[in-house]
Amino acid sequence: MSHTMHYICKYTPIELLSAMGAECIYANHMPDGFGVSETMIGSNICGFGKSLVDLAESGDVHELVLTNCCDTIRSVSDVLRTEGKLPYVHMIDIPHVDTNCTRDQLTEQLKSLIASYEQYSGNHFDRKKFIGALKIARAQCVQPNQPYIAILGGRAGIELHKLCLQEMPLMVQNLTCVAGRKIGAGLPSDDVLETMDTDALLSWYAGELLGQLPCMRMLDRTGRKQLYNDPNLRGIIYHTIRFCDFYSFEYSEIKSHVSVPIVKIESDYTTGASGQLLTRLQAFAEEIEMTYKDTPEIFRKMFQGRPGKGTTASGNGFPATADSENPTVSGTSVETADYGNGNGTPDRNHSVSAYFAGIDSGSASTDVVILDQDANIVSGIVLPTGAGASMSAEKALNAALEDAKLTRADISRVVTTGYGRTAIENSDKSITEITCHARGAHFLDPSVRTVIDIGGQDSKVIVMDQDGRVLNFVMNDKCAAGTGRFLDMMARTMEMTLDEMSLKGLTYKEDINISSTCTVFAESEVVSLIAENKATDDIVHGLDKSVASRTASLAARVGGTAPFMMTGGVSRNKGLVKALEEKLGARLVISEKAQLCGALGAALYAREMRN
Amino acid sequence: MNVVETFGKVVEKAAAKSPSLGRGVLRTGWELEDLAFQYRPHRESYPADQYLAKLMMDAMLAPLRSPDESAVCSIFTPCELVHEAGLHPYNVEAMSCYLSASFAEQGCIQAAEDDGLSDTLCSYHKTFVGAALNGLLPRPRCIVYTNVTCDANLLTFSKLADIFEVPSFMIDVPMSVTDESVRSVTDQLHELKAFLEKTTGRPIHDDDLASRVARSQRTLQRFETYQRERADKYVPADLVTPLYSAMTANILLGTPEEEDYVEKCLRDLETAPPKKGKTIYWMHTIPFWSSATKDYFLFKEKAQIVGDELSEVCNSDFPTTDPYEGMAYRMVHNALNGPIERRINAGIRHAKDVHADGVVWFNHWGCKHTLGASRIAQKAFQEAGFPTLLLDGDGCDRAHGGEGQTSTRLGAFLEMLEA
Repeated sequence: MSHTMHYICKYTPIELLSAMGAECIYANHMPDGFGVSETMIGSNICGFGKSLVDLAESGDVHELVLTNCCDTIRSVSDVLRTEGKLPYVHMIDIPHVDTNCTRDQLTEQLKSLIASYEQYSGNHFDRKKFIGALKIARAQCVQPNQPYIAILGGRAGIELHKLCLQEMPLMVQNLTCVAGRKIGAGLPSDDVLETMDTDALLSWYAGELLGQLPCMRMLDRTGRKQLYNDPNLRGIIYHTIRFCDFYSFEYSEIKSHVSVPIVKIESDYTTGASGQLLTRLQAFAEEIEMTYKDTPEIFRKMFQGRPGKGTTASGNGFPATADSENPTVSGTSVETADYGNGNGTPDRNHSVSAYFAGIDSGSASTDVVILDQDANIVSGIVLPTGAGASMSAEKALNAALEDAKLTRADISRVVTTGYGRTAIENSDKSITEITCHARGAHFLDPSVRTVIDIGGQDSKVIVMDQDGRVLNFVMNDKCAAGTGRFLDMMARTMEMTLDEMSLKGLTYKEDINISSTCTVFAESEVVSLIAENKATDDIVHGLDKSVASRTASLAARVGGTAPFMMTGGVSRNKGLVKALEEKLGARLVISEKAQLCGALGAALYAREMRN
Repeated sequence: MNVVETFGKVVEKAAAKSPSLGRGVLRTGWELEDLAFQYRPHRESYPADQYLAKLMMDAMLAPLRSPDESAVCSIFTPCELVHEAGLHPYNVEAMSCYLSASFAEQGCIQAAEDDGLSDTLCSYHKTFVGAALNGLLPRPRCIVYTNVTCDANLLTFSKLADIFEVPSFMIDVPMSVTDESVRSVTDQLHELKAFLEKTTGRPIHDDDLASRVARSQRTLQRFETYQRERADKYVPADLVTPLYSAMTANILLGTPEEEDYVEKCLRDLETAPPKKGKTIYWMHTIPFWSSATKDYFLFKEKAQIVGDELSEVCNSDFPTTDPYEGMAYRMVHNALNGPIERRINAGIRHAKDVHADGVVWFNHWGCKHTLGASRIAQKAFQEAGFPTLLLDGDGCDRAHGGEGQTSTRLGAFLEMLEA
């Protein structure tokens, strides 16, 4: 039976695996973006780790052998073993030093791999095939003898290598952490091999694996100096992957000592930020040409017809517009809500003296709801949050009182929620927006089980029971990506208001992916798309999908189930709502009072305090 | 701006003028704090915790007072050998915490990032490397570290060896939790003994080492008893005591002072009132600097942190016939070594010991092992009956921010527990 084994690193014993009938494939593709991995392993992890989880979960891979390169790969192994659906995953514990003792340790690891894979595959280790594979590996240990540029640092996927090849005027060698595999140079003669038993052969092989040019995880890294001192080396493209810290140490050591031009590039191990990378690589190619202009014979090609760099429709700045200052309020500065009684006027009963106020002090808007003692909404106000939470709350409360034709003395209890909740004076209690949103959503529609709130500063998904009690919740990571602020920034980049943006993207033609996980990278990606004259609708749709993916990932992480309700000002963004419904596979309940949900929950808690 | 914040600025300014001046100001400030712990301990704390605060401060001051008699080490280095060599453990994680508590971490982090280190690197590592680069921390006699259980150790400590130009020794602990791994580490610890003897010129006596390791075992046994017996008691808690405990349970393990501390803890329980409020078992480091976290846990009857996994990374049931084997066993069997199930199961066991009402899994920025495992951990803890909050943040770098989110998450979590 044929088997295909994916592997990730040069320390992998692929000759041994091929001797058990496995066809070994190097997993080194950079994806367009990330999928289920962010739900399984999180966002703030090296992109290569995430790409591996996605690859393993794609169903296209059945066998994967890992090496304990770093803590990210340890986590990948943990996640795939406990949560994944791979039929075969095996981790090899590669020592950090190369000594007789550690060669013995690795030999035991190799035997363990043989036993494990024989049991899984039903195939057996074939010594002849093993020696044959070693001879092939030995034949591949050839060092090119011509000028080249090296990609060093953290792993560069095939796509990045191709991009460098395309842009550089010299041959480009990928010598990043996992590349440059050299096995078999010291393979004994056939006569000697015949005298070696399998244990001795495996011990020799362990030494070959450990004796390769070291990556940065090895204790003795002096061998890496040959990477910078090779006489054919003409330039270094130093690549680091965000959240992989190993190679920043080497870069800090060599950046001012190497004698050839060096450029540092960072990626999140997706192809998304290629526009940004391209600009850097093209500039570096120009630097290489200038540096070696006196020896033009070294160039295998010259720049021809390369597109111009850097001009974008939006220019250098991101001019703010008055309307885009606040992602949840449009046009006028004050907006009153519908009161749910059908006639758009407050439903008041002046014979009742007790009213209850809820104030939701968010980063973008301050919302106030006033309830009467029967829980009727007598006023609902949304104001942009100004310089101070306390002052904005006071202003919004006064506006709500005026709207309801009440005075402060009519308010029996005030509960505050939202980011500024504790800064507001003269309240009776403050409660987090998680609890308040759940309460408000339950009041608006008791059938709802999951609330999705995309606020200016954060996104949250709240799972609740039939009584509106919070069972679980999750918020976005520290990065602004996936929040109202992210949309705000992107609208500015595209020189439109949020209201304009919310209507775009519904009639897209090209399905664009905005894959960068970082807001800054995503912004760079949008700038690149604008420069490529992509249609606005298509770009906005890509952004909507990006936010929807993150939000759906949050919902999946917390176990959210339908019916879903979306609250907060972003719920008015039609394009995003559509994209999110597609990602969730379910309709979103969007109340007319969606933006008031947190304040409503707070007011309901205030009403509970009446006794 | 408070006094400590001003102190941090003074330290940074002094270090910019002259590294030795910066070191002098830093040491003077910490000496004053040491006196305060001795003569004006925190009244809210029980005697054992007052003793611990002074003990920890002394441990931090020792390398500043006599750097040449100190060894830079990582938290899970078996420090019994370091103590027997007559050296003070000069611990990276703890020193970074104290720099942060002194509002002096930002300049250090900036120095490390300016040197080219990644902004996603653990802030404990960046703070110490930056402090070494700008001369705020003095040159030690040597460096001893282990890969357990952070991959950044491999880079940080070798860089420190280059910066300080001192010899270093790395204990390579295999990920496989097997007898063979214990034998491998045992051999390395014998080599470490030779390294320390050569570095200090002082012999290490195996009998003394054996007594010290036996004391380590007694201390761990008594600490396990303490954790079980505190389950139904109220012990006023701040944010730093669980961290101190985590530090001393590792770097001062085997010392008479650490044994005294644990005995004092048990004595405090004799008069402690019954449990109050909600109790939280904490996984990984604690953002002690965070106002939002203080709002919920700093001497609050409503909620307390009753244990931190870092103070319970190894059980007391390790072999002691051979002290080298005993220390090696502890390292290989460290709860954070090997597959993630070991860490999670240890956390669940310890949370059960203290009858915790909930668990916080702290996703310290830069700790890939913790971040990558968080989803699996949350599921496992919840299946074991512990409501679990995944809290993102940074244990050392206050510029990490996100106080609003921290407050909301913790507040909502406690509201959930109370509902």
